[in-house]
Amino acid sequence: MSTEIPSNLIKHAGQTSIPSLENITDFSLNITDCNQVVVPEEVFFTVAAAGILENLLVLVAVIRNKNLHLPMYFFICSLAISDMLGSLYKTLENIFIILCKMGYLTRRGDFEKKLDDAMDSMFILSLLGSIFSLLAIAADRYITIFYALRYHNIMTVRRALVILAIIWTFCAGSSIAIALFSHEIATVIPFTILFPLMMFFILCLYIHMFLLARSHAKKIASLPTGAVHQRTNMKGAITLTIFLGVFLCCWAPFVLHILLARFCPHNPYCACYMSIFHVNGTLIMCNAIIDPMIFAFRSPELRSTFKKMFCCARHNWNW
Amino acid sequence: MCSLLMHFISIGIYLFRSKMSALRLISNRTSQQALSNSDYTWEYEYYEYGPVSFEGLKAHKYSIVIGFWVGLAVFVIFMFFVLTLLTKTGAPHQENTESSEKRFRMNSFVADFGRPLESERVFSRQIAEESRSLFHFCINEVEHLDKAQQSQKGPDLESNTHFQEVSRSGGTLEEDLNCLTKFNIPNFVNTEQNSSLGEDDLLISKPPRVLESKVAMQSSHRILD
Repeated sequence: MSTEIPSNLIKHAGQTSIPSLENITDFSLNITDCNQVVVPEEVFFTVAAAGILENLLVLVAVIRNKNLHLPMYFFICSLAISDMLGSLYKTLENIFIILCKMGYLTRRGDFEKKLDDAMDSMFILSLLGSIFSLLAIAADRYITIFYALRYHNIMTVRRALVILAIIWTFCAGSSIAIALFSHEIATVIPFTILFPLMMFFILCLYIHMFLLARSHAKKIASLPTGAVHQRTNMKGAITLTIFLGVFLCCWAPFVLHILLARFCPHNPYCACYMSIFHVNGTLIMCNAIIDPMIFAFRSPELRSTFKKMFCCARHNWNW
Repeated sequence: MCSLLMHFISIGIYLFRSKMSALRLISNRTSQQALSNSDYTWEYEYYEYGPVSFEGLKAHKYSIVIGFWVGLAVFVIFMFFVLTLLTKTGAPHQENTESSEKRFRMNSFVADFGRPLESERVFSRQIAEESRSLFHFCINEVEHLDKAQQSQKGPDLESNTHFQEVSRSGGTLEEDLNCLTKFNIPNFVNTEQNSSLGEDDLLISKPPRVLESKVAMQSSHRILD
């Protein structure tokens, strides 16, 4: 089965064509002017492991604390799961390659091909899951602010779980479809349009919420405590910028890579951009590390749960 | 020694990946004979990264990389400045009359009230329900202040329009605040304060008017701060 987008994920610029399968040992690397920028494997594994551990911590904390069984935290968990999948993909891919290098796995095996396809669809699932989880978090916050009294009726726990189930089913189906039919342009265009569209929508939601917060602060500015509102509004602007800036900076390079690989693989400028693919992959794993910090760890309840977990662990260890 | 090993592994990765691509290419060619000629040609060329020539480039070869990151940085900074500008310049709400200002306060308080109920659960649901029923009582009392425009609907607090009617028709702000002080706000807010906010606990010593406004700000700022 053809899996061109995923194979594009692991394709590098600077490779020569393979003349035939039989002469596989004869081909040489044609090093062009834009060499592949290599990120050391240690950095890869460290970043991936940190991302997985941090998101696992968030999941464990939400599961253990009954106070956190709320729709808001379920959406944060969904984001943590999708970040974990992305880091897991990178880790498994590198382990897979090292195993093949050591010879434990054959290079032409059918099983390895299927495994590679499965891992590629896992990565696309992680990307789609990330986008939809961010959208769900923004929508949940929007409903919290603008439909405050009806929030309990609109966003019950059951409805939140149903929404999450729908999101993940859709993402799983889309990722498998994209992995299967990636050789058609028709899959690339919606995939790359989805990204800026979602980002724009999330931006609109947050700006509307931000306007409300600023209006509140304006009311307070008329009172004697005017100095406070400047600081809090600046903080709000900084928070919003961080939310969206991190999302953009971590995902946009990869999306651009997919676009360029689809539409101009032979252009030397595009080839030079595609040579930094490893850096783009590392950025996505950095996003998995940063996301819990700006979403999950902002909640005081979650932080106190972490403290309790670590204090208990340290207490047990001391005993 | 380690760097040589890593270099070797990297080259091995290149070799392995190119081989995987070759495998797919061969399987594509054998399994999809029905494809049109252009598809076949395009697919074949896709794997041909070799013929990229780097001669005669007008701009720097990393120009797309540099241009992309500069554009991204400019966009993020522009977004930040737009947001800070929004904080400094006038708001659309500033031109509101006093009545809609009261409505906004009522809505703000309502918005804030909804927030702690769902977010932290630092108090039990029992207390929350009790607070909500007290709040219902308070709103009903405000409504009764202006009998001429008394709403025919019941105390349906699940709709914001009800509040708008109430506040448009309601008495003075002082009456609202008297009602709210009966509602025992300081303890309510105090509980929430101790659990969540570290910096903004200015509320206990402030007069009720400031209290209400501060409470109104907390909800949206809790998210954004």
